[in-house]
Amino acid sequence: MKEKVFSAIKKNGWTYIVGPAFKMIEAVFDLLIPLVMKAVLDLSFTSDLSKVDSVSKGFGHFLDLFGTWVSGNKPLNYALVGGTLILLMGIVGLVTTMICQYIAALSATRTGTDLRDMLYRKILSLGKGEREKFGEGKAMTILNSDSFQVQQGVLFFIRLGVRAPFIILGSLILSLILNWQIGLVFLAIIPVILLIVFVVMRKASKQYLVIQGRLDSLSTSTSDSLEGARVIRAFFTMDEEKKRFEDKTKTYQDESIRVSKINALINPLTFAIVSMATILVVFIGSFDMAEGIKMMGQDVLPSTIITLVSYLSQIFQTLILLTNLVTIFTKTIVSWKRCDSLLAVKPKIVEKENAITKTIKKGETIFELDNVTFCYEEGGNAALKDISFHLRKGETLGIIGGTGSGKTTLIRLVERLIDPSQGKVLYKGVDLKDYKISALRKEIAFVPQKSVLFKGTIRSNMEMAKEDVTDEEIWKCLRVSCAEDFVRTEPSQLLHEVEEGGKNFSGGQRQRLAIARTFLRKPEVLILDDSTSALDLLTDKKVRDNLKDFLPDATKILISQRVSTIKDSDLILVLEGGKVLSMGKHEELLKTSQVYRETYDSQMQKEGL
Amino acid sequence: MQGKELLMKYLGKQKGRIVLSFLSVLVFLLAQLSQPLLVGSSLDAIGRVELGVFTLDIQTQKLVFFLVTALVLSILGVIFDFLFEYSIGIFTQNIVKEIRDDVFDKLLKVPIRTIDSRKHGDLLQLEIQDVENIATGLASVFKQLVQGVLSVLITIVLMFTVNWILAIAVIVLSPLSLFVSRFIATFSHRHFKSQSALMSDLNALSLEAIGNLETVQSLEYESRSLREFQSRDEKLRKEGKVAQFAASWTNPSTRFVNNTIYAIVGIAGIVMILYTASVPLLAMTMGKLTSFLSYTNEYTKPFNEISSVVAEFETAKFSFHRIETFLKSEDDVDEGTKQLEGKVEEISFDHLTFSYEEGQHLIEDFSQKIKRGQKVAIVGPTGAGKTTLINVLMRFYDPVSGSILFNGIDSRNIPKRELRRNFGMVLQDTWIFTGTIRENVRYARPESTDEEVEKACQEAHADSFIRTLPYGYDTKVTSKGGLSEGERQLLTIARVMLSKPDIVILDEATSNVDTRTEKLITEGFDKILNGKTSIVIAHRLSTIQKADLILVLKDGNVIEKGNHDQLIHRHGFYYDLYASQFK
Repeated sequence: MKEKVFSAIKKNGWTYIVGPAFKMIEAVFDLLIPLVMKAVLDLSFTSDLSKVDSVSKGFGHFLDLFGTWVSGNKPLNYALVGGTLILLMGIVGLVTTMICQYIAALSATRTGTDLRDMLYRKILSLGKGEREKFGEGKAMTILNSDSFQVQQGVLFFIRLGVRAPFIILGSLILSLILNWQIGLVFLAIIPVILLIVFVVMRKASKQYLVIQGRLDSLSTSTSDSLEGARVIRAFFTMDEEKKRFEDKTKTYQDESIRVSKINALINPLTFAIVSMATILVVFIGSFDMAEGIKMMGQDVLPSTIITLVSYLSQIFQTLILLTNLVTIFTKTIVSWKRCDSLLAVKPKIVEKENAITKTIKKGETIFELDNVTFCYEEGGNAALKDISFHLRKGETLGIIGGTGSGKTTLIRLVERLIDPSQGKVLYKGVDLKDYKISALRKEIAFVPQKSVLFKGTIRSNMEMAKEDVTDEEIWKCLRVSCAEDFVRTEPSQLLHEVEEGGKNFSGGQRQRLAIARTFLRKPEVLILDDSTSALDLLTDKKVRDNLKDFLPDATKILISQRVSTIKDSDLILVLEGGKVLSMGKHEELLKTSQVYRETYDSQMQKEGL
Repeated sequence: MQGKELLMKYLGKQKGRIVLSFLSVLVFLLAQLSQPLLVGSSLDAIGRVELGVFTLDIQTQKLVFFLVTALVLSILGVIFDFLFEYSIGIFTQNIVKEIRDDVFDKLLKVPIRTIDSRKHGDLLQLEIQDVENIATGLASVFKQLVQGVLSVLITIVLMFTVNWILAIAVIVLSPLSLFVSRFIATFSHRHFKSQSALMSDLNALSLEAIGNLETVQSLEYESRSLREFQSRDEKLRKEGKVAQFAASWTNPSTRFVNNTIYAIVGIAGIVMILYTASVPLLAMTMGKLTSFLSYTNEYTKPFNEISSVVAEFETAKFSFHRIETFLKSEDDVDEGTKQLEGKVEEISFDHLTFSYEEGQHLIEDFSQKIKRGQKVAIVGPTGAGKTTLINVLMRFYDPVSGSILFNGIDSRNIPKRELRRNFGMVLQDTWIFTGTIRENVRYARPESTDEEVEKACQEAHADSFIRTLPYGYDTKVTSKGGLSEGERQLLTIARVMLSKPDIVILDEATSNVDTRTEKLITEGFDKILNGKTSIVIAHRLSTIQKADLILVLKDGNVIEKGNHDQLIHRHGFYYDLYASQFK
């Protein structure tokens, strides 16, 4: 199923009809209350149904019906019954609004939750390449911020999306009915207010982007100077730093003041328009009365002016609300699109329908690469070129090369995180593309250079590799990865707390714990990508020796910048610029490969004491 | 209240603008609030209700006067409202700049210990988010609170002039809506709090998993992670629903209360027009009723806005408190007055003891003399505290007991500027700030010419790669990107070339550097060490063998010292290290 933001919305489709429907009851009452008030005024001051316009006449009949049995005094009756009616309408309106608010909260939170689950599932399914291309930070923001923006948009749409335009339109239509001249005034000011607010907001939001940029630059300067605290103090350049920063705060200040100047226009301008409109309403109304102009077949009464002024203020308040709503909806649409863009990312690596699995014996060929070439972009530079080698089950492959040599790409190929552009990767004699991906992920385990531990305990971290792991198994793997000693010294042992990112362990300890975690899975192929870089050479060697006894049948692929780590491998590839410079065993390479020999010599000179 | 003094200092400088904004808002409110009165009066100039019957009686002159006055006042209102909001914008931004500059200045003055021990994100927040919070708080206090309170006061006076009985009724009834909204706010606040706790819970989970997705995927942990995510998300949904629902009560409820008050006032007003028209102080007209109903609205409006101001004000207060605490923290001690005459001939560690935390001594009773021109190598496993020695030497930290003497003068008696002038350092964490390459190199000696900068870069072998960049020396680089790790290291070497220090401190570790650049860096190191007193965190055998003195560190203590041959003959820890790696 193709998942989109709309699928989460559609699931709660009914709320978009039922919610606003309840809200409309209140909105209708909101529009009617001024008319009831007008009828009360008209009837109280004329006590004659024939002298009032048809709108008041309608309410008049109604008020008459109830009024007669309250008391004999007609005007007082109108006032009391009218007041009670308004109160009742208020109560019913309150109840229906509450129902709408509940439906809105229900729908919005459901949509948000469904959307987040969809997004999270999507992110988890993406390979490293797709993730990097999309942007990891962006994906995270979409999950943790855009999804909430969509949720907010749903909330406000159900609550106000229908109500606000309805109130504005309704007030406009009713005022046109009551007095079409004044109604035209309203018709004219609505676009003017909207225009002012939008123009100002647009200008302001552009300026906000500028300000955000300035703020980012302030933030960069601050974090630069925090990171460089030692250098700044060593060179004693505090005064220069201060001056540079003050220049930046000055620019920020200037830009911010420019924004506040623009923003300071909104309130005064709208205030001006509304008060001028009010003055115009009174002017036109009194002119109509003086000239005896009739509206709806009757003389214009002052109550009409009062009612129209109250519609004016209702229109005005709702317009302000509407512009806020527009801002919210604009943001929501942007977030909506961003969510969809993430959901639309298609994983490149897909399992074939009749994918297979296979088991082979030790000594049989497990990997065979035949003239494999890979380009990250079509027609772009090859990250790997014409790679061929084969490896038997139980053997160790060592890969050495600098940054950009193609080590990582090669590993991604054998893990099938990417497919070759040319050539074939055979795994157990089968084209890797035909192999069942879920099985492949189980059989091949990878330990990255920067191993991460998750917040929790040592045990909870180990459980990530195997859900129902026993203490015994854990200790065994810790022993193999030379991690047992330091875990034993912790009073709470396996339940020792692990802070976020494993910060409470040293780099070497982290690596050893991560290796132990991978061992728990007892993989067929184990890939160690510089995973022992933080260990001293003795421990590094010990881990490798232990591994041989622990998983004698496992095929190992070791990537390292250290010759000592890979020199005992059955096959060593020397990579540079995406090509295999030479391959063979350590002794052969010392003779045949100049690069290998030079690296070896220089490392023997240098290795980190 | 805490921090009053500091706040007064900032506000005091903006006195003029604050007074201006006060006066403007006063004029604006008077102009705005007189409008209903004028509209009401115009209505009364059209006709009047007598004995329950409306009679048309237009007094044109009066009507025109009221309407023209209303027009003039509304124009006046526009001008002063703009002046009010604009002047608030100016003085808040003035204060923002001043606070930012003060915080930055303080960041440069606090001891290195403060920067090392606090999270950088936390300090950054002081400078960015906290100041923004203060700006928002200040602006809303002036805009909403000052305007609101003044508006309420003026409205009360005006309501009493129209009709005192109704005025009392409104004043008594209106706080009802305030109570309602406060009650709802307290209730929903509780749910919002637990909602945001659940939200950060969810964020933490996804941040950790997505940030380390490689690990998650390699362990096939995805489905379990999703399960955990969904269960937290579901909890969030339930709490969020209640929170959102509760929060959405405020508007309808206060609207209901206000509408009710409005209806009561309206009906009572009509009754008064009908029955009390002849009673002197209660005389009610249709115009007066209209004005009064407007005032009822104006009166209740600020109350509804106050709850949002309260939240912003609380946030601002908290942020201000954080900043104040930081600004009041101790400055770095730099009380030395003695000048170092001439070159540094001798550095002498005299029974030096040092610890970052009390009781955990990293260096204990260490004594050693280093003569001019001597080369000292520090070796030891990672985490042995090799950089600690450098921290104390350059007085980023002060010793717990004992001292370091330069030409016999205790380093604490030498001004830090004078002391550090003699050092040049290349650390493993290269520091490049956002700016051009030229600016970055010149940093070591701001007064140097372009030729000197380029010459230093040539000597550091950095010139060739700089020339291949699109803008050469004027290429912009940032703290995070633009250059490879090796290139950045070459630039820091160029800095030292430029400053020509007496003593060089160097961390030889080079990571993530390709072989060719590494060779250049090594040559650069050799050049800057040439003929200098040097202290090197050594990684190369040749450096160690050439050193006059090797300090072997383990677990923070100097466990062996001597030159290479002496140490080898001792067959101690150094010997083991050496044997495990070079044999």
